Amino acid sequence: MSDKPDQTQARRGFLKKAVAGGSVIPFAPTWALGATATVGIAAVASEAGASTAVPMVGYVSLSQDEAAFVETLVTVMCPADEFTPNGVDCGLATYIDRQLAGDFGRGAKRYARGPWIQGRPQQGYQLPLTPEQYFKAGLAAANEACVAKHGKPFDQVTPAQASAFLDDLGASKVAGATPPLGPWFNELVYPLFAQACFADPIYGGNVGKVFWKMVGYPGLPATHTVDMVQFRGKPYPGSKDPKSIADFS
Amino acid sequence: MIKKLPGKTVVMVGGGLTAGLAARQLTGKNIDVLVLERGTDHSKGAEARLPTQRDELRWDTHQGLVQDWSVQTYTLRYSGNEMALPVRWMEAFLPGEGLGGAANHWNGHTWRWSEYDPEIRSRNESRYGKAAIPKDMPLQDWGTTYKEMRPYHELFEKLFGIAGKAGNINGKIVPGGDPFEAPRDGEYAQKPLELTLAGMTFKAAAEQLGYKPFPTPAANSSSAYTNPDGMKLGACQYCGHCERFICEAQAKASPEVLLYPLLKTRKNFEARLNCHVLGLTYDRAGKKVTGVHYVDRLTGQEYEQPADVVMLGAFTMTNTKLLLTSKIGTPYDPVSQTGVVGKNFCYQLGGGINLFMKDKWFNPYLATGSTQVYMDEFNNDNFDHAGLGFLGGAGINASMFSGRPIAQRRLPPGTPRWGTAWKKANADWYQHSMNIGMQGSCYPHRENYIDLDPTYSDAYGQPLIRMNFDWRENELKLSKYVAAKQTEIAKAFNADIVSPASTMQAPFDIRYYQSTHITGGTIMGKDPGTSVVSPHLQHWDAQNLFVVGASVFAHNSGYNPTGPLAALALRVGDDMAAYIERPRIL
Repeated sequence: MSDKPDQTQARRGFLKKAVAGGSVIPFAPTWALGATATVGIAAVASEAGASTAVPMVGYVSLSQDEAAFVETLVTVMCPADEFTPNGVDCGLATYIDRQLAGDFGRGAKRYARGPWIQGRPQQGYQLPLTPEQYFKAGLAAANEACVAKHGKPFDQVTPAQASAFLDDLGASKVAGATPPLGPWFNELVYPLFAQACFADPIYGGNVGKVFWKMVGYPGLPATHTVDMVQFRGKPYPGSKDPKSIADFS
Repeated sequence: MIKKLPGKTVVMVGGGLTAGLAARQLTGKNIDVLVLERGTDHSKGAEARLPTQRDELRWDTHQGLVQDWSVQTYTLRYSGNEMALPVRWMEAFLPGEGLGGAANHWNGHTWRWSEYDPEIRSRNESRYGKAAIPKDMPLQDWGTTYKEMRPYHELFEKLFGIAGKAGNINGKIVPGGDPFEAPRDGEYAQKPLELTLAGMTFKAAAEQLGYKPFPTPAANSSSAYTNPDGMKLGACQYCGHCERFICEAQAKASPEVLLYPLLKTRKNFEARLNCHVLGLTYDRAGKKVTGVHYVDRLTGQEYEQPADVVMLGAFTMTNTKLLLTSKIGTPYDPVSQTGVVGKNFCYQLGGGINLFMKDKWFNPYLATGSTQVYMDEFNNDNFDHAGLGFLGGAGINASMFSGRPIAQRRLPPGTPRWGTAWKKANADWYQHSMNIGMQGSCYPHRENYIDLDPTYSDAYGQPLIRMNFDWRENELKLSKYVAAKQTEIAKAFNADIVSPASTMQAPFDIRYYQSTHITGGTIMGKDPGTSVVSPHLQHWDAQNLFVVGASVFAHNSGYNPTGPLAALALRVGDDMAAYIERPRIL
């Protein structure tokens, strides 16, 4: 991928971060030229975010090309709209990067002895890769499949193409890749996306508790003996102002 | 070089609920007890303190309190001609690790099973005839009765401050409780938990159809409580962090709140942590065990710990594993139908319907692990099975246990998996949806059993336990039958959206949480030819070895296993004391 001529796009990840941080506006035209649905994030963020919180800048595990893929992925899956800022500004890419770089990515608590034999899907994951290695192997295979289909890597296709490509991944319609991309997307990527949205913001995603506010989860500390009766069947006021681990630390 | 240690009277393998209860009985009679636990003490860690306790990702998603699968997991195959593969990350069930075991992260449902459950074969034979029990279903009586276990149920419920509403006091049916309940001496130790709106809505719909729903008996303390030992529970905070969490408010009755702090004050008790038991030393000719062999996980040093009496009180699979690796008793062979160790391995049925009601504020986060309304009309043998083609049944329930947002969001069928429409559905329904669930019996099948895997080993070089398991026709039919009943009840809700009922599908899928209620492998019974331990839980081939836990259940019921498991643990404590006083076959 690094041999392709159109390499201004591959660095969009870092540039978007800089913009999200609010400091490097001159680069805006560059990323705004990108094909994914990122235009207007700053404006939406200020409305929906209702918070000055911003994601952490920089990646630990992901390369520049991998970051471009992941940022596109989370922007397609979480576009800026009336509910939240775009996925990058919600910290979703940061969350995924930090998980891959940490215990989860290294396969903590996972059984990793051979022999390695593929079974039925219901017997679960059976590849000799850590989750980080698996994520990256699948990402590379998905990018290859995207190039084969659209002539461009995933971070450079149109928003409609990107969205349809993810639909195909989820429906196991992108066949023939190693590793197989259906289970890769459904059992590794999708859970990471959901966690990135709804885990405590201390892990880098759900910036500003934006997803908790969206659904009305009040967070911590949840001592509800009285609330349980008082607000049974009624809106619970704490839902509007959720508290996270950092608020009690 | 193995170091031999000074002997102990009783050595228990596994520092969970059963060991805590049995040790309470023994140490109270001045008998010294040593508990060997592979994990640590969780009671003062981040898992038991705010704000870190309320971390769904760490304790739930990443299974912070659960067995370390890199050290020890299980393999799975669906039939005898397949090679089993290791479960590399288990979601289906969650054994605990550390003092308190799985009873640290349990939800708290505490049942007495149906009065006829310990006599399940006799019950079905007398009602439907001998031919009604399929040849491949080795349903068998436990060799004990509810009547014998009843005093220990009474004791356990007082020790753990169980909150509920009696349905059957000494044979008299009491309104508001479970009319199918086994007879009890009196009301529960505490008043029931508050019902959630989900529970109330279900209750109204079920009553409209003529059923008698009632609150699930709960170990989540409905008020501040002091038990007969003087140990205290705080009042439940309805924080929605029970299942998969340690209760930082000490309001969920658990061994680390009510048993081990008490035991630690007794001079004749010792809990040795970070000790992974590798096997038992067995004198086959003398039909006795002589002690336990373990490795200290902090130093790597291996020890032989002599004991007069050994009790296995580990998780279901480990009890079987230690018998097999120590070559005590005859392994079960499904082809020749001989042997017993590993036999009657059972699981439990689930399935449910999601209901979406835009005008109802269900507030899923204002809940406990046991805020559940249950009905027993279609559970176990509470209804006539003539002509149905299956045995057993399921409780139908409305449970609202938590609003943990990573895992506990219900979305209407057909919702896109991401994007603005996905967000909108989450925003619309997170607080406005509930579930009707089921928990169903699982009767034994001759090809459902556990043994030692011939290929895969654990971190200590020992073979993994192999699960030979799948859902069989009996359970698949039962699941469909109860799902149809759930669907009828769901209609009475007048909900805006009702999802189709999910039913059990083969093959068994380890990728989704189903239930940690796994039973069998070291089953109890009166006949040494068909059971591993006697009705007193004494091993037929080693009279100073006792085994306790859900591993001794010869089938699984439509209830959580903790009640009978705890009753048997208290009773085996007394039985071991009787044995120590005068060693013999009890």
